[in-house]
Amino acid sequence: MRTIALLGQPNSGKSTLFNALTGSHQHVGNWPGKTVERAEGYFTFDEEVYRVVDLPGSYGLTANSAEEAVTRNFVEQGNADIVCIIVDASQLERSLYMLADFAGIERPVMLVLNMMDVAEQKGKKIDVQKIQSLLNIPVLGFTASDLEGYSKFFDTLKRAVEKPAKISSTKIREIALANVSDGRESSPILKLEKLLDYLDFGNREKFWIVSKLLENDSLVRSEVETAVTPEHWKQIKEILDAEGAEGGLLTGEAKYRFISETLREVALAGEKTVKLSRFDKMATHRIWGKFVAFFILVLTLAVSMMIAVPIIASCFGLQGVVGPFVNQACESLGLWPAVASFVNSVIVGGLAVTVAMMGFVFAILVTFGLMEDTGYLARSSYVFDSWLSRLGLHGKAFMPLVSGLACTGGAVCGTRVLDTRGQRLFAMVLLWSIPCGSKVAVVLFLASVFFGSAAPLFGVIYVALIFASFWISSKLFGNKLMPVNERVGMIMELPPYHKPHWKILLKTVCRNVWEVFKKAIVVIWSISLVFWLLSYSKDGLVAHSLLYHIGNFIEPFTQIFGMRWQLFISYLGGVFSKEASLGVMSVVFSSSTDAFSLIARNEAGANLGEMMRAAVSLPEALAFIFASMFNVPCVLTMGTTYRETHSLKWTAAIAGYYFAISLGLAFIVYHIALWVL
Amino acid sequence: MCLSELQENQKGLIQKINGDSRFVSRVVSMGLPPSSPFLVLQNDGRSPVLLYSHDTMIAINRKECMQIDVEMA
Repeated sequence: MRTIALLGQPNSGKSTLFNALTGSHQHVGNWPGKTVERAEGYFTFDEEVYRVVDLPGSYGLTANSAEEAVTRNFVEQGNADIVCIIVDASQLERSLYMLADFAGIERPVMLVLNMMDVAEQKGKKIDVQKIQSLLNIPVLGFTASDLEGYSKFFDTLKRAVEKPAKISSTKIREIALANVSDGRESSPILKLEKLLDYLDFGNREKFWIVSKLLENDSLVRSEVETAVTPEHWKQIKEILDAEGAEGGLLTGEAKYRFISETLREVALAGEKTVKLSRFDKMATHRIWGKFVAFFILVLTLAVSMMIAVPIIASCFGLQGVVGPFVNQACESLGLWPAVASFVNSVIVGGLAVTVAMMGFVFAILVTFGLMEDTGYLARSSYVFDSWLSRLGLHGKAFMPLVSGLACTGGAVCGTRVLDTRGQRLFAMVLLWSIPCGSKVAVVLFLASVFFGSAAPLFGVIYVALIFASFWISSKLFGNKLMPVNERVGMIMELPPYHKPHWKILLKTVCRNVWEVFKKAIVVIWSISLVFWLLSYSKDGLVAHSLLYHIGNFIEPFTQIFGMRWQLFISYLGGVFSKEASLGVMSVVFSSSTDAFSLIARNEAGANLGEMMRAAVSLPEALAFIFASMFNVPCVLTMGTTYRETHSLKWTAAIAGYYFAISLGLAFIVYHIALWVL
Repeated sequence: MCLSELQENQKGLIQKINGDSRFVSRVVSMGLPPSSPFLVLQNDGRSPVLLYSHDTMIAINRKECMQIDVEMA
């Protein structure tokens, strides 16, 4: 088996290539011991299995972030048989920086000039053959989104396999040396090379090491420090300190000169006057741009929901249809009535809820895929960056955070648009506190039951508390997930607009929805089962269920938070879904009927309001309302968070954090209310 | 002068990038090493500056712009 590593800058079309090559033969997890997502897949060509590793996108090979370190280590340590560098042909000069930064790592390499179609539209003429002969490595010009053109890719791959070719840094070194104003001899490059003379760096040419030293790359620095004598390290450090950040400019400039000298003969740019399009003027406007972003988000979500709604609706109908059938079947087979209840509530109910929720996930993933694919996402990030950077987040987080208002669990999947795992995790932490439509409905319903016309006031307090929770979360998690010294103010590429690649987009979305479904159904079935077991009683009376006994047992503890056992159990029901907390309430307060059927059907008993007003005091109601605001959103959110973080630990940590916040808030509100009211 | 001092539609050349290695590496790898020509596409005095260089539209925060010395071309 051969391993191909895909190396490319963001927006180079790396993921498109990865998805097209591997299809459904993918595995996404974490890099061992790292909090960085690892995507790999397989394909077969010429009767040989190839493993494809999609390295995290980065603009260069200097390890400034966890993602970049992973990428860099992988290629540097020679873990790949072939490194496939993907560049954007329509922005060749800038994009080739990755190749120039790679030059000097002695591993077989092939170069893919992607998006040749866009380059042509821009009037660029690129002589692929000439680039190939100048660089002396296999080069391919193609369009990754054109699924018909992959035979060319395999041909090039074959050449790279049969005749491995490497790319040397000699030319870059010469350019860098020629660029020193007081003569070559004074160049820090020569001085450093001399000091490293007796060392062997395996896969890497000496100039590559020197250039990374000059760029202040922490990995190479510590590697060299341990390899040389303390005396030499002192001298090396003196040179590096004297250069400071200048060192990085020296090598950086040389790399770009190398690129432009290579391209001088092979690529003709159709020089056109560049202007911001009228749409871009709107989309990047300080004020209008924000409206445009809202409008586009709502519109695309609405359209994709239209596809999803029939699925969601039919799922909620499913139970009604299947239920009687299951009952009948169990009866005729002479099975326990409990079996029918189990099948209906847990198996069918859980399945219906999960499939219905996948409708939301689908809609959100299509929306985000479209925005990323067309290039619009970067514009929305541009206009919202100033708001989000206060929390340490990239402007890109805006879209997932706002879609949280539609569906928290779906939006958790949408955090994928963020570049680093830390940003992604932090966005998820924030998302859990952003209420979806049904959470808002439940909170306002409860507020209106107990406080009538004062209910809107709860809305205002809720919004204020959400922002307060953002602040607390950023204090608690911000620096751990997004170290301040790793944050760089926005320097972002706004990619040109593309037509969406529908086929690839929908395929990728469907595959992701399926992956999410597999994780979510397990979580939902397990939690349903627990709820079902707890609430089951032979005669259907709550007082005979386990729930009642446990509730009574823990009541002394839950009362600290102002919740008698009925309320606390309803609060736990809210972990299942927000509507479920109402369902549980109608059961525990009416002390009859099958509790679980109400949870699963998301029904609030008709006279729930009256019942609750009679049974619950105002301080208790306040405690419950505030606890509901920051309760764990729902099982789907837990399921998708687990799926996106690939970490039970983090999922549990976020859930624990929200239990603490919601119960803490209930505690404070309850005791103040007792004192005031 | 610094990058944000250029007006819309003015052309410039990057002269020097001030800051730590991390910042320099970021700017360089995004395609703006010294002596890169660029065109300012948008500079409204408050939002990040939008410029065009090496066939790419790049947005740079105003604070970061202060760290990039340019000359008019």
